[in-house]
Amino acid sequence: MARTATSARAEFLAGCRDEAPLLLGAVPFGMIYGIAALSAGIPAWLAQLASAVVFAGAAQLVIVQMLAAGAGFVPIALTSGLLNLRHVLYSASMAEYVRHLPRRWRLLLAYLLTDEAYAVAVLHYQRREPAPTAPAGSSGSGGGRDTASAASAEPGPKAASIASVAPAGDADTPAHEDLRHWYFLGAGFTLWAGWQLATAAGLLFGATIPAEWELDFAVPLTFIALLTLLLRERAGQAAALVAGLGALAFAALPYKLGLVAAILLGLAAGAWTVRRLERAR
Amino acid sequence: MSTATLVLLLVLVGGLTYLYRYAMIGLFASRSLPAWLHALCRHIAPASFAALTASALFVAGSEVHFAFDTPRPWAALVAVLVAWRTRKVLATIVAGMAALHLFKLLF
Repeated sequence: MARTATSARAEFLAGCRDEAPLLLGAVPFGMIYGIAALSAGIPAWLAQLASAVVFAGAAQLVIVQMLAAGAGFVPIALTSGLLNLRHVLYSASMAEYVRHLPRRWRLLLAYLLTDEAYAVAVLHYQRREPAPTAPAGSSGSGGGRDTASAASAEPGPKAASIASVAPAGDADTPAHEDLRHWYFLGAGFTLWAGWQLATAAGLLFGATIPAEWELDFAVPLTFIALLTLLLRERAGQAAALVAGLGALAFAALPYKLGLVAAILLGLAAGAWTVRRLERAR
Repeated sequence: MSTATLVLLLVLVGGLTYLYRYAMIGLFASRSLPAWLHALCRHIAPASFAALTASALFVAGSEVHFAFDTPRPWAALVAVLVAWRTRKVLATIVAGMAALHLFKLLF
């Protein structure tokens, strides 16, 4: 029992430690979000609450940017809902590692499944016990496809009996007891705490700085930076180009619905490019 | 948008995001992910960021306005160049903000 508790704590702390460097990237986003939320007219308490309820940096920045531009309820919900869809991929990628856990663990880990926590946790899972279904070296960005096929084994709740949480500790602890969910928890918690504090710092800082600093401009700059990193392949470039032009072409649509139309058109352009490239090969 | 509407919006988006995150490890733990969803997800982020950037730079209200006589499009151009050369997010934001304030002095 004691040994299990010790190694659970060790896993948790290792997760915290490995997540820490990613805070360098996340904290500025959190602060920019906090500052931009204030200048978009969101009350501070609500901006802070959103960091806990939505807990997705890119979507929170999108919401703030669209609110500042005067967008309506439906376009904001559609755009941020679409942008966050990628979390289904992370969820699928994690499924084989956490399926055996009790429901309360899975409910908690799902809440902490952000881009940054996923990136760290999935590497830990792949490093320690390469899953037979996943090709070696498959990285965090697209790991979902291979793992998803493995998700057809047994349904989760039934397998909960082999859960590795501490209470089973009377007899000898199995040598291969899987405590890696504690690592996941540590990584997820670290990012969560960092995100909440960064938001608070942005809200405090944002209340004191003058509007002439135009720090709201940091939000489109963030989009530019992320976009440039994402534009590695032809189809993505086509999607971005068409969506960008579409945003101008549909600018007159009410409530900023043009943004949703532009993104959908961009997705179609991306899909079309993929198919065309496949046919050309 | 009223505060109550905003609360509703945030709770909706938060709830949806949580459903996404819980979907494959909880709700559909025994299913596999459809291939089309995979293909779709790949381009959502670039399309969204491009649309929002274009809109932030060149749309005022509901009108397209290429405001090349103002600092923001030029600062954005500097940011694009820095992002392209360095591939660093923070450097891009810092350079873009610095360029904005430099151009504000010039314009």
